Amino acid sequence: MMEGWENMSSSQRQDALLAKWVSGEGIEFADDQVKAAYQYRAGLIRDAATLKNTPERAPIVILGTFAPTMLYGCSAKKAMYDPEALGKVWVDFAKDYDADASGNPALVMNGPPLEVLDYNLYKWPGHGLKEEQGYQFLERPYMKAEDYDHFIADPTDYWFRVWLPRTHGALEGLGYLPPVYGTMELPAAGPWLATLGAPPVQAALKALMEAGAAAFDWIGKLLPYMGRILSSGYPMYAGGFAKAPFDVLGDSFRGTGELMMDLYRRPQKVLEAVERIVPLMVGLGSSMALANGNPLVFIPLHKGADGFMSNPQFEKFYWPTLRKVIVGLAEKGCVPLCFVEGAYNQRLEFLADLPTGECIFIFDRTDMAEARRVLGGKSCIGGGFPVSLIMTGTPKDVEEETKRLLDKAAGDGGYILSIGCAMDEAREDTLRAFIEAGKKYGKY
Amino acid sequence: MQDLVNAVVEMMEDDALALAKKYLEAGADPLQVVEAYKDALKIIGQRFEQGTYFVPELILAGEMMNGASSLIKPYLSHEQGKGDGKIGRFLLGTVEGDIHDIGKGMAAMLMDINGFEVKDLGVDVSAKRFIEEAKKFQPHIIGLSGLLTLSYDSMKQVVQALNDAGMRDKVKVIIGGGQMDDHACQYVGADAWVIDAVAGVRYALEWMEK
Repeated sequence: MMEGWENMSSSQRQDALLAKWVSGEGIEFADDQVKAAYQYRAGLIRDAATLKNTPERAPIVILGTFAPTMLYGCSAKKAMYDPEALGKVWVDFAKDYDADASGNPALVMNGPPLEVLDYNLYKWPGHGLKEEQGYQFLERPYMKAEDYDHFIADPTDYWFRVWLPRTHGALEGLGYLPPVYGTMELPAAGPWLATLGAPPVQAALKALMEAGAAAFDWIGKLLPYMGRILSSGYPMYAGGFAKAPFDVLGDSFRGTGELMMDLYRRPQKVLEAVERIVPLMVGLGSSMALANGNPLVFIPLHKGADGFMSNPQFEKFYWPTLRKVIVGLAEKGCVPLCFVEGAYNQRLEFLADLPTGECIFIFDRTDMAEARRVLGGKSCIGGGFPVSLIMTGTPKDVEEETKRLLDKAAGDGGYILSIGCAMDEAREDTLRAFIEAGKKYGKY
Repeated sequence: MQDLVNAVVEMMEDDALALAKKYLEAGADPLQVVEAYKDALKIIGQRFEQGTYFVPELILAGEMMNGASSLIKPYLSHEQGKGDGKIGRFLLGTVEGDIHDIGKGMAAMLMDINGFEVKDLGVDVSAKRFIEEAKKFQPHIIGLSGLLTLSYDSMKQVVQALNDAGMRDKVKVIIGGGQMDDHACQYVGADAWVIDAVAGVRYALEWMEK
């Protein structure tokens, strides 16, 4: 831990971790020029995020999943089954397109361990989807209404012994395990240990060993490429990942339909459950970020968007625990980067209720002039460029729209130029036009 | 049966079901109970329009309707049980390559509440299947749903196939999903685009009035 950490405010801790990140400490750059380029790019993001200085220009960040691989003719299936092909493409994409930050190619994940585990939460290319298609989430009510009390009493125990067996076919055996707590005393340790030996549990453990080995092999092959992205002068826009507690419950556990009805059928249980998820998400996001030496924590927001619920429902069920995750991450020195999917035109006033300059909001369909008006000087904003124009427009359309967007959203700093979508695909001419226009018109 | 109407409108699920049961067991005309639910749905629809009700209420209203249907069914004669005057036919599905279905499900439910006969083809529906089903179902409106940008091309293929089959001028095509806008709509060749189900219903009702 850094000197004086205990007595630092959230903002001071963020500054300290950001300074370390911007310095490029630990990265082996080819030469000082590349190092300076890295520091320049990361510095643009730091200055936009904290609102303390006006950056030289608005940083340009491209959120993408399968877009880089598809631009280089590498199928989504290859991306998920050939880490070296994936890594190479991401290095090329970072250098050729020359935006100010890269994503982490590990977010593309790897097919073999998922196959071993019979992972049911997604379909992926070659596994329920065509080879050219990126993975897609399969939302189901994996958690039943009667499970709330177990979840609330002990989310991790529930996660391990109930949810994993339901969502990972090969881990069904974990459902036979007794709670781990017996291990604290010999008289109670027997049932736990003996059950570990039962054939279905052994099969599950074996699957975990096998999946782990496959994933370890994958990351071993991918890591050098991640290193090359950094050493080529491109910082990564996320060091960790977290979610809004309501989205955790809605996306992966209850499913939208069931959770929305729970707001009427068992509102108190929903409130208790999301409250329990707060420390889990702070722990998840901060531990990843600190391990990666990159304080930015990516938080995609889903079910609190306009149209999903009323403002009173948002205020009661969604926002309080999201706010706690944001504030909790900031207290650890992390910088939450919320990717606000859908539109948040009805919610901007809520977002304004945060400490100044400690959180980033990248928007998708929100009115960016309004976002600037309400959040300007309070939090860094970003995004707002329509992906439809990247996919269907001309480079000229894109240049003009980029200029218009910068005029209304860039202000005197505190803006990250971004497309409001984590792209599965893109087009070369329009994407290049977007990045070039950003460099041309985004100067302060 | 104002108490039943109110219970449904105010999302008092258990009360509504108990009241419906009470009326039916007391020998009330089952069609009158059906009417009470319809009145309630009309008010719920209005609250959607006004922006006071959202997805939770929409989904719960759908659930209440399902519960009520199975409760009322045994009380209805065969003739009474048959569908009554619908205002139009709405065919929808998530287009090929996309398996997202939450928005589509909401659109189906809301269109049903608003008096449409709805045929939902599910997810990952090919252009070929849209055309086959359209020939059989003769929809007034076709709704194409998709969350991914990949769906632009799949949607475009459906519109193209409608053109090729000589059916394009007989139906309205509406596209819905998180990344729909004017650019996408123009590219696809649809008549309208929406990012939420309520807006879709507004278009549909407008078209049927003409």
